[in-house]
Amino acid sequence: MSETFHEFVVQRSPALSRTAYLLTGDHQHAEDLLQSALARTYRHWRRIRDGDPEAYVRRVMYHQQVSWWRRRRVAERLDATPVERGGGDHTENTALRLSVVAALRRLTARQRAVVVLRYYEDLTETQVAEVLGCSVGTVKRHGHDAVRRLRDLVPDLWERTPERSGR
Amino acid sequence: MSVRLREALREAAAEVPAYPVHERAVRTARRTRRRMAAAVAAVLVLVALVPVAVRGDGPRGIAPAGAGGPALPDRIGLPGFGALHATDRPRLGPASVVFSGQARGLTGLIDEDGTVGIVAADADRYRTWTVGHEAPAGEQVLLSPDGRRIAVPAGTSEHPRVDLVDLVGGTVRRLPSPRSGSTLTEPAGWAPDGGALVVRDTTPANPEGSAYVNTLSLVRLDTGRAVRLLETDQVPVFGTPVAFTADGSRLAYQVGDKVLVAGTDGQSITSFPLPPESGLAGKGAWLPDGSLALVSRDPDTTRWRLRRVDPASGRDLGVLALPAVDGVTTIRLLGWWPDGSALVVGYRPDPDSPERFDRPVDMDQRTVYPNVQTVRVLGLTPGAAAPNTLLTAPDQVLAIDVADAVVRAGRVRAADPPFGLGGRFWWAAGVVALVLGGLLARRLLRRGRALGVTRGHAPRG
Repeated sequence: MSETFHEFVVQRSPALSRTAYLLTGDHQHAEDLLQSALARTYRHWRRIRDGDPEAYVRRVMYHQQVSWWRRRRVAERLDATPVERGGGDHTENTALRLSVVAALRRLTARQRAVVVLRYYEDLTETQVAEVLGCSVGTVKRHGHDAVRRLRDLVPDLWERTPERSGR
Repeated sequence: MSVRLREALREAAAEVPAYPVHERAVRTARRTRRRMAAAVAAVLVLVALVPVAVRGDGPRGIAPAGAGGPALPDRIGLPGFGALHATDRPRLGPASVVFSGQARGLTGLIDEDGTVGIVAADADRYRTWTVGHEAPAGEQVLLSPDGRRIAVPAGTSEHPRVDLVDLVGGTVRRLPSPRSGSTLTEPAGWAPDGGALVVRDTTPANPEGSAYVNTLSLVRLDTGRAVRLLETDQVPVFGTPVAFTADGSRLAYQVGDKVLVAGTDGQSITSFPLPPESGLAGKGAWLPDGSLALVSRDPDTTRWRLRRVDPASGRDLGVLALPAVDGVTTIRLLGWWPDGSALVVGYRPDPDSPERFDRPVDMDQRTVYPNVQTVRVLGLTPGAAAPNTLLTAPDQVLAIDVADAVVRAGRVRAADPPFGLGGRFWWAAGVVALVLGGLLARRLLRRGRALGVTRGHAPRG
C-alpha cells in the first residue's frame, strides 16, 4: 500500500539524514542535499510512491552531491596532508570517527559516494555502479582511489587492524 | 580496514539528527512546479502565437500594400492545406487572379466542393473560397474589374443567390436572385465600373420541372434594381460570356449560336448568328474600334484565332493580326494589354478526354473540367510568330479569371507561390496548443492540490 509523502519523510528522514551527512561531511550541506532530493521526490511522488521511493531519494542525493561537488570543487582542498587526529577529551573511537569524517571531506564527491555506498550502505560494486549510473570499473577505480586516500589521511584505520577489502 | 571503516562510518552517522526539511522540501517542490508550469505556459503561448505571427499569412508574410501595383503572376500554385479563406484576417486586398479546377486544394477530400484559389494583386498571397460545387473561374466565379470582389453562386435551390465577397473589407454581400422561382443564380459578367452585375438564372418552366427557362438580368448593386435582358427556353450556352463596352453602356452576350448586343436598360440593339466553330471571344471581346472579337477554330485543327465582326450585322471583318494558339480546346479573351496584345486563356486538352478537339465540339463542352488538363494565360502580340506564355498553372487547374485592372496594368511579375501548410492550419495548431497547455496546467494544479490534501491528512510523526 502506498504511503503519503509526509509519512515517508517522517519514517525515513533519520536514515536519509545520516546518508546525506556522510556524503557531504557537513550538516548544513547535508540538510540542503536532503531537502533538494526530497523536493524532487515530492514532484514525482505519484510516479514513484508505489516503487522504492527511498532508493529514489538516495539516488538523487548521490547524483546531486556529485553535481554540486563539480560546481564547488575549485574551492575544495584536495591535499594529502593527514587530517588532524580528533583528540582532546574524546575516546579513541570518537577520535577515529572524527578523523574519518574529516578525511571523507577530502575525497571527491564520487569517491565519497562510493565509500558511503560500499562501506556504509553495504552495497556490492555492481549495485553501487547501478546507483551511480556508471560502470563497475569506474566504481572499482573510485573505490581504490578513495581507500588509498583514506589510508594516507587516516593511517589509524590500517595501523590497528590491517585487512583487505572482501570484494 | 573495511571493518574499521564501516564502524567509523556508522558511528559518525549515528549521531546525525533527522534534518527537519520536510516543509522546506515541499515548498521548494511547489515553487519549482509553479515555475515549470509558467515556463511551459510561456512556451505554449509562444508556440501558439509565433506561427500565427510568422505563418499566419503564409511563409512570405505580407507585402506592403500596393507595392509595385497590380501584376499578373507568371505562375500560380495550389492553395496549401488549411489556407486562409477570402474573408480571413489579414485581409487579402485586391486580387489579380482567381482559379479553380480539380487539383489538390481545389476539391474536397471526398467529393467536389468547388474551392476557388485567389491570388493577391501584387504579391504571392493566397486565399480560398469554397463554393460547394463545381464552379469554373471566369464562367461562374468572376473577379470584379478592380479585383476587390469576387462574385460566386451561392444559396440553395429554394433561395438561390450570388455572394459578393469583398476581399478588401472581408465582408460578404448576399444578392438574392432577381428572378422569382429561380432555382439557380450565377454571376455572368461585371460592369466595367463594378457597379452592376449580370446574373444568369435557371427557373423551372412548369411545376413538374420538366423544362426550364434561362433569364439574364443586369442588377445594379447600389439600388438592387434588376433589369431583365433576356429570357428564353433553356439552351446549352446562355449568357456566357458577357462582354461590356469600355464605357459600360452596352453589353454583348452569347445565347446558343447567336450573339446579342443590348443596352444596360435592357433594350436589344442587335443580334447576329455565329459562324460554325466560333464563339464570342470573352469578357474582353469589345475592341477599341467598336468591333467585336470572336474566337474561331481553323478547320480540322486545334488552332484557334481571334477575328473581328461587325456588331451590327455580324459581318466578318477578318482575322486579327495576332498569332494563333495551337493545341488547345479553345481560347477565351480576357482583355487587351496596353501594347495591343490580346490576353487569352488557353485550355489545354486532357489526353484522357474522349473528345476530339480538332473536330466540331459544342463550345460549352470545350471548357468543361473533364476535357481540360490545365490552363495557360497567353499574350498574343501583334506581329509575333507565336503566343507568349504569361502565366502557367499546375495540372488540373482548369479555369482562371484575371482582374481587368491587372490586364490594363500590362505587367507580369515573377511569382513564387507559397507552399506547405496554410494560415488556418497554423491558427488551429495554435489553438490546439493553447487548449493542451490549459489542460496540462489544470492537471498540474489538480495534482498539486491532491498532494496538498494528502499531506494535510497524513499523520505527523
